[in-house]
Amino acid sequence: MTGRIEGRDTPGTFDGGDAPGIVEGGVLPVDRANIDTDQIIPAHYLTGIETTGLGKHLFSGMTGGPELVASHPGASIVVTRENFGCGSSREHAAWSLADRGFRAVVAPSFARIFFENAYNNGIAPVVVDAGAIDALLTAPHLRIDLEAQTLEAPGGARLQFELDPLRKQFLFSGGYLAFLAGERPAVRSWERARVVPAP
Amino acid sequence: MPKSLFEKVWERHVVEELPGGNALVFVDRVVAHEITTPQGALEIERRYGDELFDPARIVAINDHVSPAKDTETAIQAKLLRDWAKRHGIVLYDVGRNGICHVVAPERGYVEPGMTLACGDSHTCTLGAFGAFALGVGSTAQAGAMLAGCLVLGRPKVMRVTLDGRLSHGATAKDVALCVVAVLGFKGGTGYVIEYAGNALGTLSMDERMTLCNMAIEAGATTAMIGPDETTYSYLRGRENQPAGDAFEHKVAAWRALAADPGARYDREVRIDVGALRPMVSWGTNPGECAPIDGVVPADADGASLRYMDLAPGRALRSIAVDQAFIGSCTNSRISDLRAAAEVLRGREVSVPTIVTPGSQAVKRAAEREGLHDVFQDAGALWTHSSCGPCLGMSMGVLAPGARCISSSNRNFPGRMGAGGRVHLASPAVVAASAVLGRIASPDELGVAPLEAVAR
Repeated sequence: MTGRIEGRDTPGTFDGGDAPGIVEGGVLPVDRANIDTDQIIPAHYLTGIETTGLGKHLFSGMTGGPELVASHPGASIVVTRENFGCGSSREHAAWSLADRGFRAVVAPSFARIFFENAYNNGIAPVVVDAGAIDALLTAPHLRIDLEAQTLEAPGGARLQFELDPLRKQFLFSGGYLAFLAGERPAVRSWERARVVPAP
Repeated sequence: MPKSLFEKVWERHVVEELPGGNALVFVDRVVAHEITTPQGALEIERRYGDELFDPARIVAINDHVSPAKDTETAIQAKLLRDWAKRHGIVLYDVGRNGICHVVAPERGYVEPGMTLACGDSHTCTLGAFGAFALGVGSTAQAGAMLAGCLVLGRPKVMRVTLDGRLSHGATAKDVALCVVAVLGFKGGTGYVIEYAGNALGTLSMDERMTLCNMAIEAGATTAMIGPDETTYSYLRGRENQPAGDAFEHKVAAWRALAADPGARYDREVRIDVGALRPMVSWGTNPGECAPIDGVVPADADGASLRYMDLAPGRALRSIAVDQAFIGSCTNSRISDLRAAAEVLRGREVSVPTIVTPGSQAVKRAAEREGLHDVFQDAGALWTHSSCGPCLGMSMGVLAPGARCISSSNRNFPGRMGAGGRVHLASPAVVAASAVLGRIASPDELGVAPLEAVAR
């Protein structure tokens, strides 16, 4: 099964092998709270018009970020602390993660815009209790089952997590824009029947 | 059932309820800038036949790096320009542009009760008009351009009541910083902040925009202020608004948007702004700030202090700065420039100081008042309008270790340049600091309380 975001040239596959909906891979431990999107990708890399090729800049605004990424070459899951992705709305943060092969970010909380951007780019934002993060940061790799909504560390417990039932569909089929494109007739008819005059 | 301002606006725009507490929300206006629009515009061109839901609802503005600084940014601007022309979309381009959150309201594109989306987190600025104005990613903005809608989880609503009247040199910027400090850097996450309280009545639209601008720094979905006579006066006679009876009919409808007495809120916060002093940030998020007379707190985050090269107990006024910046979507409107000019009049800056008006219209208004002479006589650089150094893209990027006092909104690590350090403050405090070469308040220079000059 593929989580290709429409139009993205980078495949966002949700498989660590043959199993559908499974993200299995190495952990990139980002042991800090409040990682803002300026740290994920600084503004001077926002000068392109495409969504691809940004992986080389991932975490380049974070102290020690490039070294951290370089020392975890096979990682596909970020584990971090609260309020990940705060600040700027730049979807480049999600694009740079996807381009580098990341399929999930595990954190106690996310900033709203990044949370939406992640779903729209084949990256599952997995929310777990803050108390579980210490153990996950030290795990070499994790197995996340997006269908069953479970997360397993080697030798660790199996954690259950919630996904937004609608946005979860965006991960698996078509994506956000395809969904909205299908809603256009409903939106048109709502607009025609609108009571409040349009501004 | 009594309703909040947010509920009224939300309910008038829900096209359809969706699973998971989500809703399909109609978008009245899309504001599109050159950094985050091209990707979605290309996507719609490649996969959806270049068909937009309603180009008349879109306003395009080249704002972040304008004019372009290099080939890449030139391509971004050209793409927006060509796309706008192709679809008949209004474009504000080099010469009559500015920061999108300044240009959109000044051109009359924002009004009470509307929904608005833009691929920029500081879109919450426009909630000052009683609009539901949302910063979104490029894909979500593209969805609004393609289908006229956003998918949104219904946010909770927090009422933040501001009591008292600003004095002691405090400004709307100081309230904005105070709110982030009170709520915390993520304390607003999941909420729309609905501002209320008698302090609002005394705030101009410029000040209300400054206040709403920083709601995102507490993680809030957006902020909203109920429209009143100040709002209607701002919009009356403005371009892109109707004249005469047609406008007054709109005003009558807008009056019904006010929050009902007894409306229920998911959270209530009260702040007395009467005793507020100018605020300055010392750390690496906007919630890490303190009154200018104070010190770096004892319990300050260690990583923030290391980045900022500060220690607990350090008096804020003793911190020397290398650069000063007055501008950004937070504080670049005419009243901000007047406040800064009042401090700089007849004085000289002692560090490189950049003054960047929020729009070319603001620039011209400032020049008609002679403010450009005040700034340049003081030795500051008076630039064209742009997002400028706020996000470290152009026009004043900091060197590693350099310290800037800034009227902008973010002091994140590397925000204004790799390794650069940012202290957030009001325009008047930035101006006073530029003169003294360290964090300073206008009263140290004997400048009259700001509220006398800011409005």
